[in-house]
Amino acid sequence: MGPESTADREGSPIVEVRNLQTAFFTEKETIRAVDGISFDVVPGRTVGIVGESGSGKTVTARSLMGLVGRPGRVLRGSSIRFRHLETVREYASRFPGRTADLTDPSVEPADLLDRIDATPETFGYDDPRDVPVAEVVAAGYADGLGLADGDDCVFVTEGEPNEPETITDGFVEISRLDGEPQRLIRGGRIAMVFQDPLTSLNPVYTVGNQIVEALRLHRGLRGAEATREAARLLEDVGIPDAGRRVEEYPHQFSGGMRQRAVIAMALACQPEVLICDEPTTALDVTIQAQILELLAEIQERRDLAIVFITHDMGVIANVSDRVNVVYAGEIVETAGVEALFDEPKHPYTRGLLRSIPGRQTGDRLETIEGNVPTPNEPATYCRFAPRCPEAFEACESVHPQAVSVGDGDDHAAACLLYPEELSRTAAVDHHRERTHGGDG
Amino acid sequence: MSRWEYFLKRLLLTVPVLFLVITFLFIMLRLGPLDPVAARLGPEASGADAQAMRERLGLDAPLWEQYVMFATDLLTLDGQSWVVQADRPVTSVIAGAAPPTLWLGFWAILLPLFIGIPLGFYAGLNPNSWGDYVASVSGIVWQAMPNFWLCVMLLAGLRQTQGGGWFGFDWYALGPELRSITGTPDLDFLRWGEPVGLPMPTAVDWGALAVDIKLILPPAIVLGSASIAAELRIGRTAMLETANANYVETAKAKGLTDRVIVWKHVFRNALIPLVPVISNEAFLLIGGSVIVEVIFNINGLGRIFFQAVIQGDLPLAGALLFMFTLIIIFLNILQDLLYTIIDPRVGYER
Repeated sequence: MGPESTADREGSPIVEVRNLQTAFFTEKETIRAVDGISFDVVPGRTVGIVGESGSGKTVTARSLMGLVGRPGRVLRGSSIRFRHLETVREYASRFPGRTADLTDPSVEPADLLDRIDATPETFGYDDPRDVPVAEVVAAGYADGLGLADGDDCVFVTEGEPNEPETITDGFVEISRLDGEPQRLIRGGRIAMVFQDPLTSLNPVYTVGNQIVEALRLHRGLRGAEATREAARLLEDVGIPDAGRRVEEYPHQFSGGMRQRAVIAMALACQPEVLICDEPTTALDVTIQAQILELLAEIQERRDLAIVFITHDMGVIANVSDRVNVVYAGEIVETAGVEALFDEPKHPYTRGLLRSIPGRQTGDRLETIEGNVPTPNEPATYCRFAPRCPEAFEACESVHPQAVSVGDGDDHAAACLLYPEELSRTAAVDHHRERTHGGDG
Repeated sequence: MSRWEYFLKRLLLTVPVLFLVITFLFIMLRLGPLDPVAARLGPEASGADAQAMRERLGLDAPLWEQYVMFATDLLTLDGQSWVVQADRPVTSVIAGAAPPTLWLGFWAILLPLFIGIPLGFYAGLNPNSWGDYVASVSGIVWQAMPNFWLCVMLLAGLRQTQGGGWFGFDWYALGPELRSITGTPDLDFLRWGEPVGLPMPTAVDWGALAVDIKLILPPAIVLGSASIAAELRIGRTAMLETANANYVETAKAKGLTDRVIVWKHVFRNALIPLVPVISNEAFLLIGGSVIVEVIFNINGLGRIFFQAVIQGDLPLAGALLFMFTLIIIFLNILQDLLYTIIDPRVGYER
């Protein structure tokens, strides 16, 4: 690895989500709203997360922002790594007390795994020797081993943490952030656009005031300069007469205008990553198209990484480069957008595609019968099985693992029907074996 | 329409309302079963004396003439008390009784504002905590206790403390010394002078001020008790609702600190539903002060109004009710003004 960090190299992820588990602890039950999701976010690309209501999309987004509140919590073993070199350097110099040095080559990952009683599968590797020490530590497993303190959130894997300019590789672990470092990430590095533009602006302050607030916080702009910048941002998102609009209140904006204003607010601090949680759901179709176009244009201009969350397959086809289909807190299929729409492998994905109006064969709109179950226990079976038209007996007792389907490495589905080249019994055994490996 | 045009219009609209109020007052007081002559001379008064008094008060004139007299006296502030403080001008009777009532009302509004709202906001920010339970339950208990009962209990309790007592403190000796825990505060704590040719307060007698405050605290707590509870409960709900609003989420996602989120984004929105609660409480104070002033023996407007009504003192009762009406109309306008300041969505256009 050269002086360039991973994040600066073409196509390498800026955010790596690994085995993300977010659970809500209620008096009645523990709801595993997000149960082991992994994906990458790449600059200049859009990763889509699609699924029905209640499948855990929004909780995923909120976990990325650190916005999961009580009684919810991101569980140990989850890791959200922000690999932006500039941020790592800045954090290492600003929060030296929370920076952990993981450059020590003497630590053996296999050894480490033994001591913490975890398996390489937890981290998505087959061989213990492949598991990077940093990932084990980031996931919260090694706090007692003297490698990191409880509140460490900056991990340096190459370079000298005490001299931030020499750092060439490392990451900020978002799931361990709190207080000041968390606030700096929020809005400054990762911004979010919420579902309902009608309620996501504070009604008693002017739109300008709410943009200036972010500018002052992350860029230190004040007074007339900040107001001018706010007007420029509004102009950038296509709001005419921005100079006057800055002084207006949210109720004087139309729905589409408000969502543009929310986007302007999110972009105010030049974030690296933009999370869009159903940004067009509350808007009508023409406005929706305009907003999607705007996002695409901004992405091209700023090389922005976008996480796009929606239940609308049509929108997903439009905006994303890569799609993750989530069901009951798990990713059931992940693929490039073309592969997914041309050759959907998982029965759930097929069902979703068939329920797009205009795509079905008969007179009636096809639907997937039933609702998303509440994932309130660890998965020991396929959660989609009760609704799956192709379910068979083993689906009730074996938890499917993601297996590669299709040509490339990048199309995977978690379904007992695959790998296709094996017989059904062999395929089930394949999944069972990997599950038991994961348990042991 | 600008803000000021709007409020000018509102003020003009009060004129017909005031005329209706005057007429209604006259009908109620004059046609009721009250006899000011008997109240003034005693029930044994002979026919000639009563007739003379009747003529003096103008009660033998035709009814419409009496109405005109009543209305002009009200509007020109020119009436004289008939019975309660016989033959004194109404204005001077009111001027004498108003300060204690204003003092009582001031504290009865201030205490809820500074006890009820902070407690409610605290409970709303920490829902389902012990602090929340204690605040909410005591709020309901406060509201359930009627004023007249609370007055008597508080007086009884405080009297027991004389010379040490049940509660381990002596209210009479605690802080500034009091000889009686009831009575009218003399409100003589300002020292007046004419440093620039105009009379103005030049110094404050802190000892006298402390006595006045101590004297007014028990009745003010009683009078404000319902308001404390109402503001606590509405404040808690408003805070809870606002804290879960989407724009608070947006503010968090911006990376703002908790302090900014609560004070800038939550606080102002949570105040909106409290505005009518607070101004309605001010209406209640006017009625409540009658009972509290009588029990705590305060020579204020409420007490005088009560006497004027039961004794048929038409000019005095009329003037007081007219004043109360003016206060209520003014408070309504003030409430609307506050709305337009706090919530920009409230406009002046139809």
